[in-house]
Amino acid sequence: MIVEASSIAAGACLEADICIIGGGAAGISMALSLSGRGWSVLLLESGRLEHDEATQDLYAGSVADERLHSPPDKYRHRRFGGSTAIWGGRCMPFDPIDFEPRAQVPHSGWPIGYDEVARFYPEANRLVEAGRFEYDAETAFGPGKPLIQDFHSDLVRTDGIERFSVPTRFAQRYRQRLEQAPDVRVLLNANCTAIRLEADGTAVRLLEVATLAGHRFRVAARDTVVASGGIESARLLLASNDVAPAGIGNENDVVGRYYMCHIAGNVGMLTVKGATSRVRHGYEVSRDGVYCRRRLGLTAQAQRRLGVANLIVRLHFPRITDPAHRSGVLSGLYLARRLISYEYGKRLNDGAPESFEGYARHLWNIVTGPVDTLGFLWHWLTRRTLAQRKFPSVVLRNKSNQFSLDLHGEQLPLPESRVTLSDERDALGMPRVKIDWRYSPADIETVRKTLDVFVAEFARSGVATLEYDGAALEADLTRFGAYGGHHCGTTRMGSDPRTSVVDADCRVHSVANLFVAGAAVFPTSSQANPTLTLIALSLRLADHLARRAAARRPVPVSTPTEASA
Amino acid sequence: MKILILGGSGHVGGRLFQMLSGRAGLDVWRASRRPGDAARRSLQVDTLDRQALRAALAGVDQVVNCVAGGAPAIAQGAALLAEAALDTGSRVVHLSTMSVYGQRLGLVREELQTDPGPGWYGRAKVDAEAAMARLVGQGGQAVVLRPGCIAGPGSQQWVGRIGRWLQAGRLGDIGALGDGWSNLVHVDDVCRAIEAAMALPVAPGGAGRLPVFNLAAPDAPRWSEYFVDLGVAIGATPVPRLSARRIRLDARLLGPPLKVTEKLAARLGLPAASLPDAMPSSLVGLWGQEIRLDAHAAESALGLQWTPYPAMVADSAAWFARSGHGRAVGC
Repeated sequence: MIVEASSIAAGACLEADICIIGGGAAGISMALSLSGRGWSVLLLESGRLEHDEATQDLYAGSVADERLHSPPDKYRHRRFGGSTAIWGGRCMPFDPIDFEPRAQVPHSGWPIGYDEVARFYPEANRLVEAGRFEYDAETAFGPGKPLIQDFHSDLVRTDGIERFSVPTRFAQRYRQRLEQAPDVRVLLNANCTAIRLEADGTAVRLLEVATLAGHRFRVAARDTVVASGGIESARLLLASNDVAPAGIGNENDVVGRYYMCHIAGNVGMLTVKGATSRVRHGYEVSRDGVYCRRRLGLTAQAQRRLGVANLIVRLHFPRITDPAHRSGVLSGLYLARRLISYEYGKRLNDGAPESFEGYARHLWNIVTGPVDTLGFLWHWLTRRTLAQRKFPSVVLRNKSNQFSLDLHGEQLPLPESRVTLSDERDALGMPRVKIDWRYSPADIETVRKTLDVFVAEFARSGVATLEYDGAALEADLTRFGAYGGHHCGTTRMGSDPRTSVVDADCRVHSVANLFVAGAAVFPTSSQANPTLTLIALSLRLADHLARRAAARRPVPVSTPTEASA
Repeated sequence: MKILILGGSGHVGGRLFQMLSGRAGLDVWRASRRPGDAARRSLQVDTLDRQALRAALAGVDQVVNCVAGGAPAIAQGAALLAEAALDTGSRVVHLSTMSVYGQRLGLVREELQTDPGPGWYGRAKVDAEAAMARLVGQGGQAVVLRPGCIAGPGSQQWVGRIGRWLQAGRLGDIGALGDGWSNLVHVDDVCRAIEAAMALPVAPGGAGRLPVFNLAAPDAPRWSEYFVDLGVAIGATPVPRLSARRIRLDARLLGPPLKVTEKLAARLGLPAASLPDAMPSSLVGLWGQEIRLDAHAAESALGLQWTPYPAMVADSAAWFARSGHGRAVGC
């Protein structure tokens, strides 16, 4: 059932087997998975079914450098369903190498392997409605359909695809299922303001819950899961500091550190020889109706040999802000960028100086290419605005066989990249966050070395040439700062409490019944967008909690036969 | 052992007849409303004719009730069958349905009080089960099976028309509208359950002793997922994502005129099979109903091993292809 927190008597103490704090992709997936397994589940959701300004303000905070990171209330939606309300739906699994300790990536290595997460990928894929768990082009589309015809390389993989969710808005999609689940209670407008530990600090005693209207009550659960997102989970642990002075799980000053997003940007110019039909750069629809897109990346062996982190690129169109692309569609997007939401408009504004001449040239592009522009608008209207499964993003028809590379890569985990509490407090009296995102020069070098391999491999193949401006690489990759929305690492998973917050079961090392679900537990960030993997990890945690609860259930005194006699 | 399958030319009855015919030690007959042919071990029996039914059951050890049709054929037919079986000492395996649970939600076990709701079909099936309970209460022997949605070769309802809707683009991934559990079960698993039910000992005394079993594959997915899987398997690709509004419009606007045309065509002797299938609103409601049959009892008491879901989809798609989109008769 789904009810308002105001319906709970003030001062009451609610009981549940498992309490989940946060109803986003992680929390909803866990609740769905736990339902029907014999345990009572309480899901505390701060927001409502729709956006609410006062609730969203609880996310506000500060950033150390506005050029490097968006304000904390952007890319995060504090409402039922969380940021699935705005996500773009891009899904891909992590690679096996992401879980390995790698010499070239300090602080790398997960306490679990790829296979442990892979068990839950198919179900995660179902929940995000991205079709079957098939992430290589040959399985999804059959053989003989390469990204670039006649390009073969032992170092560069071109057989990977990403699949796109509807994109599924979790609150809308799973509302009915949660409403009808007899063992799940979702409380809306329920903000967990503190986790209270037992006096010895080794177990959660209760949770403090408050509504913005000032209603307060408590929750006592056998197991508690913090599933509030990559920034907020750290905030809640740090702010719960009455028994553990440095914050829960923060004995070794790890909570909030190793904060990662992704390194991303548009780089280089790839020119493919021959006909445009030799390249599959855009979206293709798989048999199960899902939009898919090809990606290039280095093989695991090549990454190890070169000593680089993991990244992928997609074939993309030229820089939007520069009218030299002469595309009416891109110029239209550029001119309309202020009408597009912050999260999606940000990358249309790359700091290039705005001039009357620039505007005029963009306008000229639109006027001189009306067929293209109208065609695009029609496609957008029918395939995105009105469609049930949304065409994922703007992809232009390939007329020139020239592409920029749209890059998305792992960043090295850095202890000094961190989320801390500031002196400011929100309406509920909780300290607001301060975000100091950092990246490493090695991140740029990973891109440089990887691009150099691409350059060499394309040259060797003779089917394409790649050029990029090495001097501008750092600027191109940091123009928009940290890639928005992919908040990882602040309660990282590991076997050593000195360098991690949760163990392989996602349990806070020092607290027997406190767990974290979400990308906060990622020790490294991979080339992949985090949603699919954080859902898989949440399903794994749900499985673990269901078994754990079963092991603890007291043996019944009477057998069923005696009881019914 | 002599076995008589009532409704033996229908989906399950026909399949069961095929499966059991020729087995050593079994003398398998089927009965239906169609003219019989003793050489092919088929009889014509009107199950609403007390005398005829009584005569057909003479010497029959096991009678399987797969009769479909209107409310009288289901409810009154079962009552007459129970009476006759008590006289002849025949054991009955009665095919009921999940519709006896009506609008119930959640995991349903057999002990749950039946609650068919307002539909005539569910009520007739509940009445039929009551007749079986009376039979057992009076010292007779009967077992009731409650299958979910029977798929696999020959299934017009859950493969034929669904496949045709998929090919016409009228059905696809329907998201939350298809969030209910499909409770699909392979027709061969239903037949195996019937065979096992024939051998199940039934303790005498009291109508409460009537053994009842739900039948649904434990790995059967939710409806939206089944539609995508069947769509891929029959080549209706790429399977589209359709809005709830569109499906409801299809059911409300296209449904009634299609149904009327279908009835008209049948009356005029025109080939109704070539008409588009109407999509009943009640069916759309079922696709969203969060009901899941618990079939553990069938596993343990009848020793059922379910056909894996991917095999059920593959068998269904193969039949759909070889029967001309499910329009040809037979399996």
